[in-house]
Amino acid sequence: MAPDPTPIPGHKAVETLVAKLRRRQIVGSRQAALETVLVLRQVVSKARFSNIQQLIVIIREAGRRLVEAQPKEHTVGNTVRRVLHNIREEYHSAVKVSAPTSSRNVYTISKFVLQGQPRKQTVGAPKSETTATLKEDDPDDPDSFARGIKPILMEAIQDVLDELETVYDNVSKTAKDHIHSDEIILTIGHSRTVEAFLKSAGHTRNYTVIVAETAPSYSGHDMARALSAAGISTFLVPDSSIYAIMSRVNKIILGAHAILANGGLVAITGSLLAATAARAHSTPVVVCAGQFKLTPLWNLYHDYGALDFADPSSVLGFEEGKLVERVDVVNPYYDYVGPELVDVFITNDGDHPPSSVYRLIKETYDDDDHEL
Amino acid sequence: MSAQTQSGDFDIYATFQQFLQDEEISPPLAAISALAEAIVRSNAGTMFELVQALNDGAEELKRRSPNPISLNAGCELFIAFVTLFPHESDNFAELKKELEQQGRKYAAEALTFRDKIAELALGFIKDDSVILTHSHSRVVLKALLHAHKTKRISVYVTESRPRGLGLKTYETLTAAGIPCTVVLDSAVAYVMDRVDFVLVGSEAVVESGGLINYVGSNQMAIIAKAANKPFYALAESYKFHRLFPLSQYDLPTHNPNILSFPTPIGRSAGTDDAPSTSTPDIITKQPARLGTSSSSTERAMNQEQIAKNPGVDYTRPDLISLVFSDVGILTPEGVSQYLVGMFAG
Repeated sequence: MAPDPTPIPGHKAVETLVAKLRRRQIVGSRQAALETVLVLRQVVSKARFSNIQQLIVIIREAGRRLVEAQPKEHTVGNTVRRVLHNIREEYHSAVKVSAPTSSRNVYTISKFVLQGQPRKQTVGAPKSETTATLKEDDPDDPDSFARGIKPILMEAIQDVLDELETVYDNVSKTAKDHIHSDEIILTIGHSRTVEAFLKSAGHTRNYTVIVAETAPSYSGHDMARALSAAGISTFLVPDSSIYAIMSRVNKIILGAHAILANGGLVAITGSLLAATAARAHSTPVVVCAGQFKLTPLWNLYHDYGALDFADPSSVLGFEEGKLVERVDVVNPYYDYVGPELVDVFITNDGDHPPSSVYRLIKETYDDDDHEL
Repeated sequence: MSAQTQSGDFDIYATFQQFLQDEEISPPLAAISALAEAIVRSNAGTMFELVQALNDGAEELKRRSPNPISLNAGCELFIAFVTLFPHESDNFAELKKELEQQGRKYAAEALTFRDKIAELALGFIKDDSVILTHSHSRVVLKALLHAHKTKRISVYVTESRPRGLGLKTYETLTAAGIPCTVVLDSAVAYVMDRVDFVLVGSEAVVESGGLINYVGSNQMAIIAKAANKPFYALAESYKFHRLFPLSQYDLPTHNPNILSFPTPIGRSAGTDDAPSTSTPDIITKQPARLGTSSSSTERAMNQEQIAKNPGVDYTRPDLISLVFSDVGILTPEGVSQYLVGMFAG
């Protein structure tokens, strides 16, 4: 790696995470997101800056490093964007409180057009009243701005962290409204969100889950074990029988690796098969995912299912040495499931149809952060 | 026309036409510029009078223009802006000046929108893409030329009868070195399987999230949907139009003459529209190359037959994959939310 000309504060923490991501010691979208917030918190707490722009540049730089380390783990970038968004918001409300800016005639036609932009209805007053006036670029004391604003920013980052920590609980809050007694649910793979969702419904409802075993990772086995341990009646079926049993299934529930701006999602391989089979039987397809998986990307090249590849040895091991030489083995890890195959996204902040995902993304991230 | 608004010899339509002379200016922008001009010329003394004058001007433009849809979008935007403009000026003359400047500023600024859209579309154009486009659209051309700088693309463009504007696109693209082939409007279904996606411009994007564009876009979208190919529309934000057509016949351009049947011959004694009842005078053209086939006389529609055909059509939102605009990439649902936010917010 080339030495960085301007070392970012909390450099060590960033580099440690970069290494971990690169070595795939951190896998799973939530884990990656959590680690990212923790690192960013360190970066911000150690940062020296005398205006908000400097801080944003620092965070972006750290974020860019992390994203480059593992571009397929979308939640890393999402978390960085989210933190940037929250920081800007806190900053704006803090500045507005301390100094009411004169906004004389900044109203133009292009501003008028931009009113159509979806925006979040901001609820509640700014987190903490800043008693000290914030003064940017103070020549006498360049650190005064940072000292004044850091507590607020730390709170903003804490919000992101809290959201990530409570995401499973919040997604499963409405589980019993979605799953009814005596229903048959099909799921695929082992998504923690879906597991929490199904278990939560299991407290109040008596229903059956069919788990597809999800070859070649066989993560369905773990899912089936986890659910049956929770006392839910569980069947494990091979992936090849998904279509055949679909006529008896009331609903399929999928987990997601990332939700894209067009309302499609990237999910474990086999999800597309299940979703297409569900469409043929008009079975509702429900996706459970935290909002940190919302990714400001369109379905550019994911139609090929080539987001990430897993180890081919689970498809064709080295014991088949003779054959391995003669065939190419690919083991794509994810499917791209288009928005037309999904009925609803159940997130930690309400249920949304695929068509409004783009709006959530506009509300959650700032447009200029899409490219870090 | 109210006399007090059209002071002197100011002809808003002529001004509008004059702005349109510029290749880069599209009707909505020309309309905004013309209305800004109308503000200066009008002797309105109150806000009410001013808005009245602008409405009259917009009405006049609409009345005299053969295809009022897109200019209407511009007028609407500007008038809504004027009504909502916060008054902070000390006197009315100053406010008028301010409004006029805002109009001009926007028209100048809006010229960069196409570059923005071209940049957004670039991400969706893969190397080696085959793109189908329809007729002639400045924003589509810009997007294609921009993509050509970094990617290998080839383009099919429809001939787009009756105006044949597809040939203009063909010339521009070929001159830029992009492999381009003109296809018949009736060959869209034939070509669709070869195409990666469809890219069209727009006259207006309406509140349902649908699209109004040169006639033929609708069938193109239907075929793209059937073949499961993405259908992308490019539209600058000043083409967002508060209109909610439920069918083709709700468009402001529709009139009873379009698609009308002639009165059958024999029973039409005494009617005055003689040309339509008589045998249509078919224009026969000799083919350019001789000896291609025997009895090769080409038949073409005459002016009167063309007049019975629509100039634009409406594409339903469910057929459109995405709308690229200078305010971002929007789904058709996003466009409707956007319009509501803009005019009701």
